[in-house]
Amino acid sequence: MLFNTVEDVKRALADCQYIATDEIATVLYLAEKLGKPLLAEGPAGVGKTELSKAWASATSRELVRLQCYEGLDESKALYEWEYAKQMLYTQLLRDKLSSLLADATSLTDAADRLGAEEDVFFSERFLLPRPLLRAINSDKTTVLLIDEIDRADAEFEAFLLEVLSDFQVSIPELGTIVAKHRPVVFLTSNNTRELSEALKRRCLYLYIGYPSAEEELEIVRLRVPDLAPQLARQAVEMVQTLRTLDLKKNPSVSETLDWARALVTLNARALDNETLENTLTVLLKYEADVERARRVLRRSGGIGYGRSNN
Amino acid sequence: MEDRITKFIAALRAEGVRVSVAESQDAWEAITHLGVRDREAFRMSLRATLIKDFDAIPTFEDLFPQYFSLGTPPLMDPQSGLSEEEQQMLQEMLQQMLQDMMEQIKGDLQKLLDWLLNGQTPSQEDLEQLADQAGLNQPNARSPQRAQQYARRMQQMLGWEQMQELLEMLWEQLAEQGMDPDSIEQMKEQVAQNMDRLEDQLSEYAGEKLRDNRVEDAQRHKPVNDLMNRSFGSLSQPEMDQLRDEVRRLAARLRTRAALRQKRGKQGKLDAKTTLRANLRYSGVPFEIHFKQRRLKPKLVVILDVSTSMRPVAEFFLRLIYELQDQVQKTRSFAFVDHLEDVTDDLLTHRIDEAVITVLTRLPAGHYNTDLGGSLRQLEARHLDAVDSRTTVIVLGDGRNNFNDPGVETFGRIGRRARKLIWLNPEYPAQWGTGDSDMPAYAPLCSELYQVRNLAQLTDAIDHILV
Repeated sequence: MLFNTVEDVKRALADCQYIATDEIATVLYLAEKLGKPLLAEGPAGVGKTELSKAWASATSRELVRLQCYEGLDESKALYEWEYAKQMLYTQLLRDKLSSLLADATSLTDAADRLGAEEDVFFSERFLLPRPLLRAINSDKTTVLLIDEIDRADAEFEAFLLEVLSDFQVSIPELGTIVAKHRPVVFLTSNNTRELSEALKRRCLYLYIGYPSAEEELEIVRLRVPDLAPQLARQAVEMVQTLRTLDLKKNPSVSETLDWARALVTLNARALDNETLENTLTVLLKYEADVERARRVLRRSGGIGYGRSNN
Repeated sequence: MEDRITKFIAALRAEGVRVSVAESQDAWEAITHLGVRDREAFRMSLRATLIKDFDAIPTFEDLFPQYFSLGTPPLMDPQSGLSEEEQQMLQEMLQQMLQDMMEQIKGDLQKLLDWLLNGQTPSQEDLEQLADQAGLNQPNARSPQRAQQYARRMQQMLGWEQMQELLEMLWEQLAEQGMDPDSIEQMKEQVAQNMDRLEDQLSEYAGEKLRDNRVEDAQRHKPVNDLMNRSFGSLSQPEMDQLRDEVRRLAARLRTRAALRQKRGKQGKLDAKTTLRANLRYSGVPFEIHFKQRRLKPKLVVILDVSTSMRPVAEFFLRLIYELQDQVQKTRSFAFVDHLEDVTDDLLTHRIDEAVITVLTRLPAGHYNTDLGGSLRQLEARHLDAVDSRTTVIVLGDGRNNFNDPGVETFGRIGRRARKLIWLNPEYPAQWGTGDSDMPAYAPLCSELYQVRNLAQLTDAIDHILV
């Protein structure tokens, strides 16, 4: 699929149920054109991971996901030899091997014969490809999502740097594997740790913050079409108010959507006292936050509280 | 436009945003794809390629409109709506008025009249000249926030107020001469608009001039690199603050380097003993193999001299070491002046800024009372468990003992227990051994010695320690 303008990108994403701002669409377009990894930062739950998924389905490419965590290392990210399988094969092939070597005249001859078959044990048959290798070795262009890179150790980041700069991997037993098609790379980070300058330098940077009320409303309408428009507007306004409250954890977009779905399931007509009491915990995950929100909403008359009394 | 973008990048750097050459190349490439017509797309191409830190976004958003504004509209020609007769009338009137006022004229009224009444655009030379008169080339003209102020000064140079009086008179007299009131009204309006636009142009010009000055200034100073090589003792307070910020970045760089080394050196050897034992149940066929874990991250014991002369070095050393906590297995820190104290907890429980202050206030520096020998004996008596064969012991001090017993024996015993004994000394080697310095006695016992007069040397030393 070809994307010639930023608008194309935006439309393709919208078809996959992702509302992209101009900013997001522009940076994504550039990442595609320049062939550079895209580093998306921002608070949790604003759709960083979702973006790569939407892009993969918009371009009908396979999504390869590498979830980072503390202690993630090369063997989990790149490849591993299936040692036990190799061992098992050797054991099972013992008879075959002895028959192969039976008529060898000398020790050297036997060693040569064995050497000729050596590749059998270090072939792709016994190679367990992990996400990075899968993305590089794929026959089609893939979308490689390296999720929450800030959780991985600095060591892993340094390793990733090498892979991302030339998209090739050397496996000592097999040689160097060069990417047939460069994957489109997304990195996401929640900014829990400062990433290294070198990694940042290689990426295009996109900061995704909380959406504006209009954008969020559009997202809710698209994702939860069953929610009555009036109610959707109220819900979004409410969430936007909550975000201004200096809470321990701000409600994210995904939580807004969960809430919207909860409202649909509960068949809510309006955001009245009772509905709010029952569902506020979908949005807010700390008891202190819930308390605080209740206090503030009551004092200000709230969006829903005032109306319910009429 | 190219010039603009280059200037913009220079301005970002002057504001402390780190933009590498590779990144500015990316920016150019991005622009070739999206062009400059669509302002929003242009802004995002620059932002995505140049800015890699959330914190730097405000700086970018602040500077962007200053460099890529839509530009103020050009001046209009207010005489276009006049008939030929009226134009002539106007010209004559002006001539006469200017002659009448000749003696009192200040500033460049003629030029201003041309601009306002004929809609001529001020030329670059005119602006340059005005700017110079208004003091924009002075060395103190640096802050873009003061653009308005300079623009007003430029207006004064042109005789702005006098011009307003003159125009009032002009309108009156034209009316007396019997010019069509509608024409006058129209002209009046357009001249007023021209004045507004000219005002905008002037302040825009002043702003640009000030920004250029500022960038040039920043380029000339290149402050940080310079500071890295200045000795700690000669730094002023603001310079120290600047260096403190720099430490964080340096630490990040050291960390990446150290991490890469860790990664490359991590492959441990085959652990034959464990492998054999684990595979007994497979009748000795090695299904599960075990490797020896190599512990590469050093364990540190730091002994810090925090007497007055050593404080700046000690502070920066502490900052670097604690920024690098994740590359070190364990750190025990001791500080001494006349006696030794374990400060590990102070450093672990506080944020680095507070921690440094806490440690430095807990051990107030007295007057010539440093006693390293005694402190070493205290370490041996109370905290010897901190030192084992995997520990690197680092002493940061000038080795000046105030003629107390240097405790060389004790130092030797600690050194033999440890993996490495490293001394960081801020003094020049030529000064070692002069006066009360016991450095020559300690030196042969150390496995490594570094001179750390400035941050560059300190960073190098720590890089070596982390190997």
